Amino acid sequence: MFSYNLQLAIKSLKDRPSLTLLMVAAIAIGLGLYMTVLTMATLSENVPLSYKSKNLYLIQLDNREVDAQEVDLQARMIDFTYKDTMNLMALDTSAKAQTFAWSTLGILNVEDQNIHPLRSRLAATTNDFFTMFDTPFLYGGYWSKEEDQNGASVIVLSKATNEYLFGGIDSVGKQLRIDIRVVTVVGVLDYWYLSQKFYDRSYSAARPDQAFLPSSFAFESDLPRNARFDCWSTETNSRQFRNSNLEQLQNSECAWITYWAEIEGESNLEDYKSTVNQYIESQKAFGRFPREVAKMNDYYTNINDQISYENGRNGMITYLAIVAYMFFAVCLVNAVSILLAKFMRRSKEVSLRRALGAKKWVIMYQHLLEVIIIGFMGGVVGVIVTYFGLQGMMRISLYSSDYTIMARDLLPYYQLNWAMIATAFLVAICSTIIVALYPIWRICNVSPASQLKAQ
Amino acid sequence: MSVTGPSGSGKTTFLNLAGLLETFEEGDYFLDGKNVKGLNDNQLSQMRNEKIGFIFQSFNLLPDLPLFDNVDVPLRYRGFNRKERKERIENALEIVGLSSRMQHLPTQLSGGQQQRVAIARAIAGEPCFLLADEPTGNLDSLMAQQVMDLLEDINSKGTTIIMVTHDDQLAKRAHRNIHIFDGQVSDLTNDSSDILIKKA
Repeated sequence: MFSYNLQLAIKSLKDRPSLTLLMVAAIAIGLGLYMTVLTMATLSENVPLSYKSKNLYLIQLDNREVDAQEVDLQARMIDFTYKDTMNLMALDTSAKAQTFAWSTLGILNVEDQNIHPLRSRLAATTNDFFTMFDTPFLYGGYWSKEEDQNGASVIVLSKATNEYLFGGIDSVGKQLRIDIRVVTVVGVLDYWYLSQKFYDRSYSAARPDQAFLPSSFAFESDLPRNARFDCWSTETNSRQFRNSNLEQLQNSECAWITYWAEIEGESNLEDYKSTVNQYIESQKAFGRFPREVAKMNDYYTNINDQISYENGRNGMITYLAIVAYMFFAVCLVNAVSILLAKFMRRSKEVSLRRALGAKKWVIMYQHLLEVIIIGFMGGVVGVIVTYFGLQGMMRISLYSSDYTIMARDLLPYYQLNWAMIATAFLVAICSTIIVALYPIWRICNVSPASQLKAQ
Repeated sequence: MSVTGPSGSGKTTFLNLAGLLETFEEGDYFLDGKNVKGLNDNQLSQMRNEKIGFIFQSFNLLPDLPLFDNVDVPLRYRGFNRKERKERIENALEIVGLSSRMQHLPTQLSGGQQQRVAIARAIAGEPCFLLADEPTGNLDSLMAQQVMDLLEDINSKGTTIIMVTHDDQLAKRAHRNIHIFDGQVSDLTNDSSDILIKKA
């Protein structure tokens, strides 16, 4: 009976190809839009470094003045001052590793006159950054602790930057200039896929920095601070710190450095908090941390919690998802209207088959097969539409990026995977079956006598 | 057996009840010794398939299927295997004289030939009886004659035929003529006006 019903279902689809195409197109377009948004939402929800994200904590200390506003949201809390960064890095804590990062800008130059200087966004950090965040290296490696301490003039390039400046060769040992300072390449990163760029708290679609420098070198070279400074009200002109008055910034209570610690387990976290609290108490002697410890808004937030919060406030993708879902529902309603008209047009044939002995479930089976085939075809075309939808979104993203970002850098964030393809088929077939239940029910309950009598 | 009566007298209702296409609330209906009252839809479908052959006034062939596949429809629902279906279809089309046109579409046949295909479809499953609703209503006299000859031939070989018709001449060719008028059923077979069943 399966093969006979399948033959009838296929024949029915072939009999009215334009209607079939219309239904498949309605499902495919709705599904394509829905899956495009769903894929982007799913990929953006991926937690970077998920295998250790629970252990990677962003630390935020409340060194603000006594009458500062209460902060009840981690995302609104300030970062670290230079003083606290240096002091905490020097402390013996229960953290497995600690690092910090701040953003700077520079123009990268190589000897080859054919290569135009590259204005770059750089991350100033320490060598533990690379071990904590498991950055993949293509060539060489990260700089040493000694180089961190000495302010060594070394640099780690991203793969795209290395391709731009050195044509993608192993450039370890080669020299380039940041503005007027000469630095030596010690490592080149491989593609570093992050679903979200968490380490500078931007949570943007991942575009790791174009190069990484020792923070000590960046300070010594007085590279610009590409940061937002959260200063006490006494610091009236914080913007000056972007390009000047580094020493004043380093002695100020301005917070602008993101501080990370890798802490394994609850007890280590408690020990770490205890060490930090002791440090805060010790700083009170210098008139710092004026707020009572009980009233401080210190935060120790791991990547999981941050991503989940950031996704929760990512209204755009949620809004898009709702619109896409509603559009898909409208497309399904259109498809089912066509299906209903098509089925009811066949009332006489179904009545004849019923009169000749077809049971209701056989008629239902035949029409269900037809609906499944339509859903499957909608799924196939829908996946193709999704592919082009994601390509389109990637092009838009690429267009709005700087020229060192290549399509392949963004591809992982706009790429269909097997799980999403399977989801697309499941959604297409299940939703088509659900909305087709009414037309199937109608056609199964047609009274044969009334149809056969009408001549 | 022929069933006659003016329009609205209940001929079609009788035919629908006899063909298990409609259900009834009062009385009993024994088909091949089994009371069909209260049977569920699946059981009624199975009985229709196995016990009854339908012949409609407008043939009711599936226009996009060849004759072979049209005759095949009830046999498919009966669950016969491919070989048995083929034998029965060829035999049925042989009886109605259309075995040479198995792969033709109904639209390639005359009205009389189409009705013969419908008859082949009805007899292929070897039912207990055939229900014919105005089988010659859409045919000219010559073709009607041929179809009636065919039905008589089938009947002579032992298959009961219940035929609803407006045509008194055709009705008279039946062994038994039942007349329905104002809800009353009379047997006119021997020029009798005895009322067989009175309306309750």
